[in-house]
Amino acid sequence: MEVVQIQRTLMDYTKSLFMEGLLDSQFLQLQQLQDESNPDFVVEVVSLFFDDSEKLLNELTIALDQPSVDFKKVDSYVHQLKGSSSSIGAQRVKNACVAFRNFCQVQNIEGCLTCLQQVKQEYYLVKNKLETLFRLEQQIVTSGGSIPMIEMGF
Amino acid sequence: MAEKSFETTSQACCSTSSESSPILALPMDTPLRKVLSRISGFASSWGKKTVTAPRGRRIFHRDVEQDEFQNGSAHCLSSYYSVFVARLAIMVMLAILIGLLTVLTWHFTRVYTTKSLNTLAYGLRYELLQRPILRMWNVLNSTSEITTAQVKLSEYVIKRYSKPTNQAELIELYQMMKDITWALFASHKALNAITINYRNGFVQAFHRDHRSNNTFYIYSDLANYSISDTQSSQQGWNDQFIHGNESAIWYRQPLDPVTGEKQGKPSQIPPEDLINIAGPSQVPDGVASWHVAVSKYTDSPLLSAALPVRDASNRSIVAIVGVTTALYSVGQLMKELVEVHGGYIYLTSQEGYLLATSTNTPLLNNTANGPKLMMATNSEDRVIQMGAQWLQKTYGNKFPPGHVVHVEKANLGGQHYYIDSFFLNLKRLPMVGVIIIPRKYIMGKVDERALKTLVILISASVCILVIGCVCILILTNGVSKEMKLRAELISHLDARRRAEASSNYKSQFLANMSHELRTPMAAVIGLLDILICDDCLTNEQYAMVTQIRKCSTALLRLLNNILDLSKVESGKLVLEEAEFDLGRELEGLVDMFSVQCINHNVETVLDLSDDIPKVVRGDSARVVQVFANLISNSIKFTTSGHIILRGWCENPIVSGDSGKLSPDQKNPLSALKTKLKQHGNHMKKASKKDNKMILWFEVDDTGCGIDPSKWESVFESFEQADPSTTRTHGGTGLGLCIVRTLVNKMGGEIKVVKKNGQGTLMRLFLLLSTPADGIEQQRRIDFAKHGVAVILALHGSMGRLIMSKWLSKNGVPTLEASEWNELTQILHELFHARTTNSGFDTHYSLAKPLRSKVQTLQDMKNPVYIIVVDLGLLDLSTDIWKEQLNFLDKFSGQVKFAWMLNHDTSNAIKMELRRKGHILMVNKPLYKAKMLHILEAVVKESYVEPQNGSPNGTKGTSKQGDSHECLEIDSSQFETCSSDDSDISEMTGANSASSVGVGEQLKEGTVLKSGPPTLRNCLVEFTRLGLEVNNLRTEEDQCNGRPKLHDTKDVKCENPDSSEQPSVRSNAKDRDNSYTTNKAANEQKTLEGLRILLAEDTPVLQRVATIMLEKMGAVVVAVGDGVQAVEALNCDLDGDENRTNRLQTEICDSPPYDLILMDCQMPMMDGYEATKAIRKSEERTGWHIPIVALTAHAMSSDKEKCLQVGMDAYLTKPIDYKLMVSTILSLTKRSP
Repeated sequence: MEVVQIQRTLMDYTKSLFMEGLLDSQFLQLQQLQDESNPDFVVEVVSLFFDDSEKLLNELTIALDQPSVDFKKVDSYVHQLKGSSSSIGAQRVKNACVAFRNFCQVQNIEGCLTCLQQVKQEYYLVKNKLETLFRLEQQIVTSGGSIPMIEMGF
Repeated sequence: MAEKSFETTSQACCSTSSESSPILALPMDTPLRKVLSRISGFASSWGKKTVTAPRGRRIFHRDVEQDEFQNGSAHCLSSYYSVFVARLAIMVMLAILIGLLTVLTWHFTRVYTTKSLNTLAYGLRYELLQRPILRMWNVLNSTSEITTAQVKLSEYVIKRYSKPTNQAELIELYQMMKDITWALFASHKALNAITINYRNGFVQAFHRDHRSNNTFYIYSDLANYSISDTQSSQQGWNDQFIHGNESAIWYRQPLDPVTGEKQGKPSQIPPEDLINIAGPSQVPDGVASWHVAVSKYTDSPLLSAALPVRDASNRSIVAIVGVTTALYSVGQLMKELVEVHGGYIYLTSQEGYLLATSTNTPLLNNTANGPKLMMATNSEDRVIQMGAQWLQKTYGNKFPPGHVVHVEKANLGGQHYYIDSFFLNLKRLPMVGVIIIPRKYIMGKVDERALKTLVILISASVCILVIGCVCILILTNGVSKEMKLRAELISHLDARRRAEASSNYKSQFLANMSHELRTPMAAVIGLLDILICDDCLTNEQYAMVTQIRKCSTALLRLLNNILDLSKVESGKLVLEEAEFDLGRELEGLVDMFSVQCINHNVETVLDLSDDIPKVVRGDSARVVQVFANLISNSIKFTTSGHIILRGWCENPIVSGDSGKLSPDQKNPLSALKTKLKQHGNHMKKASKKDNKMILWFEVDDTGCGIDPSKWESVFESFEQADPSTTRTHGGTGLGLCIVRTLVNKMGGEIKVVKKNGQGTLMRLFLLLSTPADGIEQQRRIDFAKHGVAVILALHGSMGRLIMSKWLSKNGVPTLEASEWNELTQILHELFHARTTNSGFDTHYSLAKPLRSKVQTLQDMKNPVYIIVVDLGLLDLSTDIWKEQLNFLDKFSGQVKFAWMLNHDTSNAIKMELRRKGHILMVNKPLYKAKMLHILEAVVKESYVEPQNGSPNGTKGTSKQGDSHECLEIDSSQFETCSSDDSDISEMTGANSASSVGVGEQLKEGTVLKSGPPTLRNCLVEFTRLGLEVNNLRTEEDQCNGRPKLHDTKDVKCENPDSSEQPSVRSNAKDRDNSYTTNKAANEQKTLEGLRILLAEDTPVLQRVATIMLEKMGAVVVAVGDGVQAVEALNCDLDGDENRTNRLQTEICDSPPYDLILMDCQMPMMDGYEATKAIRKSEERTGWHIPIVALTAHAMSSDKEKCLQVGMDAYLTKPIDYKLMVSTILSLTKRSP
């Protein structure tokens, strides 16, 4: 009974993530790729994303702290971040990255700093949400249930 | 505007005239100024009048013009002001010039004339004055001469009679003296009197009265004087002279003026009553003296001279001679002179007494003491009086030395006069002559003329000024008009540039926007696909979702159209240059559309002439898009009839063969030819390999047609021939616009051509180049040699007609049947007539031409009959078709049947057909390539048959497999490249498709024949794959029971006998699966056995892509950057165990990887560099590993760059699953 409850919660939660535009269809594709041979694929990729992103965000913070900002470097970092975030479907991070790059191209440091904050914000938001999601999934798995194929029903 | 400027110029005119008037007025008199002010006043009033008169109309005008003006920018206004200023400046300069000219002219004329006139006048005055003075001088001279003569004579006489002693002698002396004096007096008529006053007091005198013209001799009584007196009275001379005569008695005797005879008695007169007798008082010092006297009897002053007569010893004065001359003659002369010249002349003594005047006024004052001399200042003549007064007032007594005065302008009583005076210095009688001439007598004309000249000059200059101003106005008006026009032009150009820029912005905006819009649209469609595949939807929900799916597709199509259009407009569209099989693309297109057409009851026919090159270079996607748009447009408007896509070729260099062209289409062609001819020679020599071809196409439909007036406008964007079509047919009107822009971009033209009959005929030509080996010898089996005959039993008349024409052109006799009965008739005719040769003719009455054809067929030796039967000919609604099939089966020994299937032909029929051994089945429509294949298959079969002797064995089935393979169409091309309905491509995707040409098919066929071991291997593998696929298929069919579109394959799969499914099929199938269903189980093994190198730096992406690829059975090696990728490629030549399940023959020379997925932006070495390095290293080995670019940049320029460095395809991040699979498949399929 409890498993069903958690399953429903998970379903609703995932839906809300899509509704809020935090995630997009890419995440669905990611989930589709997960199967018996790769049971933890999504978690693996997402944690890869977290590691990568944190590293990049650190680099970006340092790069933008420099007295003379190397915009080319910043641009390539943001580009990477954009690529990885779009790969896991973290849509809002991706969008923030797009804006970031625009400021980068016109070498607007103020805009870049604002965007960095925004990217960070979005990143932590999606990170929290995804972690919650995985926790829920974990709960289902530990309580013996199966993760419902929410993405199909959505 | 015009009137405004006029106003200003009139003002300017006024201002200049008022400006110039003070300059001119300086030497000007008041009347002139008045005239000028009047002129200026007139000018201003005139200006005002012209302004005020047409005000009503002008105001309106001005409003309009102001409106226009306000639209113009500021520089227009400034230019207007500059014109105005320039105009003003020119006018002012003109005014100054003319004013100067006027002043100068006036000045010179005036000054010179005045000067010369003054000189002349001076001379005249001098002369005038000189003459009376000369006369005066003469008078004085003559008087003095006479006096002197008288004195000398008297002296002589007195000497002779010196010391008269007695009375007689004395009388004799006096008589003598009287005679002498008379002689002298008579000889000088002008003399008034001559007197001789002797010492003794005796007086002798002659007097002439000029008025009465009488002459008198006056003498004193002689008796009173003694001789002694003369001697003794030496001392008392003075006294005697003073008083002596008073006592004497004077007589006057008139004389004959001429002869001197006495005329009457002498009368006694009071002494000195008549004349002045010069006495000793007048010669006090013994020298001659002058004085002016007056007498009672003359009204003019007299000039008298007196000289003493001395005795012989010259010691004492014996007598005094006095001569008196009237100054009357001088006055007379003056009068004469004045009569001629005018003016006034007078002579005065130094004291100012008048001596003579030119007037008749009296010179003497009649006082109580007798007449006295008059002062000039008291003269009765006004002018003289005033002149004298003026002189006195001006100079007083201080006359300039010599008393010479020349005054040119003396104002006497309001008139100007010349006053000149001369001083005549005579001893004891200095005289002053004054001449007064009114100025107007001499200068009057000059002054008058000067005034007139000035007036004329000024009016003339004013006229010139006005005319000049008007001229300037007119001239500058033209200039200002031109400037205005120019300014307008500039502003228009500006506006146009702005408009163009904004349109460009719009295009760019659209391009960006639609790009952004496509992404969510793709997501929507993808999610819908997922949703459609969901099992738990109710039927209603399913219908709705399907509807949404359709709408989304339509929306996406629209977006794609807009994107295409704006891409072209913003110049971002870059046409590819790649070789492609034009015929196959068009066949695929026709296949695709025929499915749509069958519902419409419209026949789609492809009619390509044989001379069209098989392979051309160009942008295949765009070419296909052109025809797809044209055909879909035609389908939209065609409800019944046919749509024909015709194509033929013309080499522009080799002219001629324009028989097919109508005259009106020759014109663009000839223009093109001339255009090409310029390059023609170069092309011929330099690039003979790269032949440019003109390919002509026509899309001919029997739809509603287009009104000729709209033939041009239908190609505009958002334009439709009939506005109501939007309602009935939908669409945005972008399709044809895209077509035209694309065609133009490919160096062609499109237009609507007049057509006989109903419908529309669009004709276009494309300029495509054929590759060097493009015109290869087309392999053609001489069907005539094989004795093939074809019976076309098809529904569509147009397709049948075209096909039969083509066949007979290639030497294949044909028969046509449009319905079942006709077919049976022909069959009867052909076979029954031959076998039984009985009277069937009477039963079946064939048409004459058909019969003759049948007869020619019958004449053929051992013909191979092929009957192409449209399945639609059979009556499928009931079970009659089975009987019909049985009927046809009777002929199966003699003829070969090829069945034309509809796309919705049910499985039962297909099974039945296959059961009966009819293995040649093709989908509609029938076109050349399909026909060719049918023929070849039949010919091969009949050729092989006698060799193997097993007609229905494995060979036959392998042929069937071939045929299916051959007729497959690579649907992925349409899916990805053209903006077509994806539901159509979905359907065609289910149709059998082929990516391998006919030639390859035949090659494979020969391989199958000649090499049995290989064949067996292949078959084994085919079987395995086929089984696998079958399993999948059945599974799928079980899980979703709704109607599927890939019935053909389902049937085949369910048939356990048909284990010879080619491996290629499974690819197509799985693609299909991945498209419609996303079930993980179905996706596996799509990329089975492929080795893929993934170069990606982002770990997330790397992982995702790896999993994706591995899920499909590919072996993935992932590297982090470009350098690693190059290294991996170079060292990884062996040790790949995944190659075991590949064919042995391919192992020896295959590259380590089948495909490389290359991220573009990587550290160390980016994708472009890596690709270049790989391509360079490949040169040694001769491989070509397909490289697919992965990039987040979605611009076509990036694509361009990717392709330039040697990449084969291009995928955008995030990776789209389906697109990636299809791309990889299309690349890997070609390479082995």
